[in-house]
Amino acid sequence: MLLPKFDYHEPSTLEEACEVMAELGDRAKLLAGGTDLIVNMKKKIIAPEHVVSLGRLDVLREIGSSNGTIRIGALTTAAEIAESGVVTEGFAALGQGASNLGSPLIRNLATVGGNLASARPAADLPPPLMAYGARVIIRKKEGERSIPLDDFITGPGVTNLGPGEILAEIEIDRPPAYSGAGYLKLGARKALEISLVNVASFITLDAPGGVITSARIIMGAVGPIPLRAPSAEKILIGEKPSDHLFEKAGQEAAGDSRPIDDFRGSAEYRRDMVEVLTRRTLAAALAEVGRQ
Amino acid sequence: MKQLITLTVNNQEYELAVEPNLTLLDLLRYRLELTGTKKGCDEGDCGACTVIMNGKPVSSCLILAVQANGKEILTIEGMETEEGIHPIQKAFIDKGAIQCGYCTPGMILSAKALLDRNPHPSEEEIRTAISGNLCRCTGYQKIVEAIEDVSEKSS
Repeated sequence: MLLPKFDYHEPSTLEEACEVMAELGDRAKLLAGGTDLIVNMKKKIIAPEHVVSLGRLDVLREIGSSNGTIRIGALTTAAEIAESGVVTEGFAALGQGASNLGSPLIRNLATVGGNLASARPAADLPPPLMAYGARVIIRKKEGERSIPLDDFITGPGVTNLGPGEILAEIEIDRPPAYSGAGYLKLGARKALEISLVNVASFITLDAPGGVITSARIIMGAVGPIPLRAPSAEKILIGEKPSDHLFEKAGQEAAGDSRPIDDFRGSAEYRRDMVEVLTRRTLAAALAEVGRQ
Repeated sequence: MKQLITLTVNNQEYELAVEPNLTLLDLLRYRLELTGTKKGCDEGDCGACTVIMNGKPVSSCLILAVQANGKEILTIEGMETEEGIHPIQKAFIDKGAIQCGYCTPGMILSAKALLDRNPHPSEEEIRTAISGNLCRCTGYQKIVEAIEDVSEKSS
């Protein structure tokens, strides 16, 4: 398959990249890992006049940790996230999402920024990042803004990014004590799979063996965007964790999901699997609290 | 407009003028005539086009040639040395890990990237490392055995 023709730009600083994007606006597409963009261009789904590669912006390929917050540069690859000690020690569910994405060959290319900005409903990184309450830092020529990741993805393939804006970093606060999270992906095979359903759960207890004080459950591939499960989160708050409670939360989450029938699976099956994955990721989250 | 790039392929440096819409895969196959790197699906699903770029296995069909500027690439043609074929290549032959051969260059490069990083991987680590390389002939078992064989023979 031949790629459509385009003009190629390779800015060497973030400031320069913002200048280029400010000038080209909608006529340009940003190139990070290329695992989505290049495929869509080969299939002639899109044919941008300009492609702006972020490949030289090494400053966006770092995981930094300071004052209880970690910052992940948008160009950090899924493989780098999966192998990062900061991630595996403090944000295990994110590490699981990253190590489930595509295949080793794809994980060495695909970036966290691309996985968020391509806004695919079944993507592996939005659910765990949303479960940890991540924020995205967006840059443009005029300055910078930061918004909750919950508000970033607005539709299938659609984000809150305006013309000339670049997703630069992802910021996550370290969870309070007695917190844990889990991520599970259901597919028909282990590699190169698009999730049938994926779920990430996060809980915080007030003390070991105490009650749940905060909960976030995010469900992927069962709606146009990764969805929060508000009814499930609500019934968890103020309760002591138990198998029975997690079962009820699973049922509530299934009710919160909005799956469709497609060739990967029926809506009914997906709803049932939301229930199972919610229950299991909550159990994984609780097990993580127990290890502290 | 063509862009000037410099890259190293199999320890040889090339300076080339390339169109931005040329992929690294097509550069290797059609400009450098290194046809050992195979074109399968051409959209990142099959792994036939695997090369090692700066030490990491990647799908060369998803990379623009201009993005490979300044990078170091290893293809299957670079595996043989004056001493003969690479031990992984030898093990694939000895263990019958090749049938039609289309996935083999990619398989061998994924195996090399794994063994360079982790000389004694578990079976599961081997299976994960080659999980992006599809083989429709062998059922993978003999490929896994070949990689295990190389691992056992290395000190």
